Amino acid sequence: MSDRALRLAVAALALAGAAIAGYLTWAWYGGDTVGLCLTGGGCETVQRSSYAKLAGIPVSALGLAAYAAILGLTALDGPQSRAVAAGLSVAGLAFSVYLLVLQLAVIDAICSWCVGNDAVALVLAGATVLRFRLSDRF
Amino acid sequence: MASGKKRVQAPSGTPPGRRASRRTLLLAGGGAAVVVVVLVAVSVLSSSGKDSQPPLVTTAETSGLAGDPKLLDGIPQHGLVLGSPKAPVTMVEYADLQCPYCAEFATGTLPTLLDEYVRPGKVKIEFRGLAFVGDDSRKALRVVLAAAEQNRAWNVIDLLFANQGEENKGWVTDDLLRRVGGAIAGLDGAKMLSNADKPLHEEQMREMDREAQTDGVRGTPTFTVARAGVPPGQISLASLDAAAFRPALDAALTP
Repeated sequence: MSDRALRLAVAALALAGAAIAGYLTWAWYGGDTVGLCLTGGGCETVQRSSYAKLAGIPVSALGLAAYAAILGLTALDGPQSRAVAAGLSVAGLAFSVYLLVLQLAVIDAICSWCVGNDAVALVLAGATVLRFRLSDRF
Repeated sequence: MASGKKRVQAPSGTPPGRRASRRTLLLAGGGAAVVVVVLVAVSVLSSSGKDSQPPLVTTAETSGLAGDPKLLDGIPQHGLVLGSPKAPVTMVEYADLQCPYCAEFATGTLPTLLDEYVRPGKVKIEFRGLAFVGDDSRKALRVVLAAAEQNRAWNVIDLLFANQGEENKGWVTDDLLRRVGGAIAGLDGAKMLSNADKPLHEEQMREMDREAQTDGVRGTPTFTVARAGVPPGQISLASLDAAAFRPALDAALTP
């Protein structure tokens, strides 16, 4: 896969992640039901749990900021920005895994939007790390 | 010292660019690890003591309250409405929190209807509280209306029915209400109790009385069912079993 294609994929994934995180943030502040939850209202339960915010900030807003940062770093496209984007996306993936474990083991409800975000985070982490590794060879 | 210097030197064959790249990789990886540790630590700390066992909650068990802690798991609530706002059919329940048949419905039939109609997003249920039995009814209903402001009315209703006492014997004590408030995840119990006596709730209670008259309610529990654009009609019930509700709900769901 060419670097250009990888770069486009990273940008598209960051945009998809930002869209999901943006929607969840909007739902949080709008105080409205998380529509289209495929798991029978689990989104609402997860969104209203105490784990849905960090120091008063919804975790979805943190995700939105992270995706925006990765998008910005992809636009800059220097060796260091690739490394930071890879680090950020791996950190995001690790935190997403932590949140998924909370949903399964503690909150006892699954938010389909969050799982969709986890999938995006997984592929994005792979793509950014691959991009960094490829640039490291030359 | 000399050998120490040798250890930190990169292999002689490694180009300077690769060394810088490895340093960047280490920095990015270390930074990522620090970010994750900080996020998880803040998450754990900010959640401890709150709903670390979130949905409706095992604290109900430790506070000596009866009730199924998982009954309402995964079901959205908005004010007095339980279920998805997009559900095509609305069932209204008129009930007095002291009415034993209402408690029988809540503990015996409601769980089945939740699984069959509410969780799948087919039906939403609106609670309209009446307080004709006595003072305990009014006190309990005010608290339910205060909980509705935090979208936790149905959790309170469920716990009150599950822990219902003898009519007008003062069973709706402040201690019971505090335990109910403390047992529900996502509910600020103190705020609920301090808001219970708001004049707004008296007006809401009068409005629910008016709606009961309009719907021809003569006793509790009474149920009406409606589909968007179709006026509500009372469900004729031979019993309070789930089977008695199915024909009316299924008919309303059929376009």
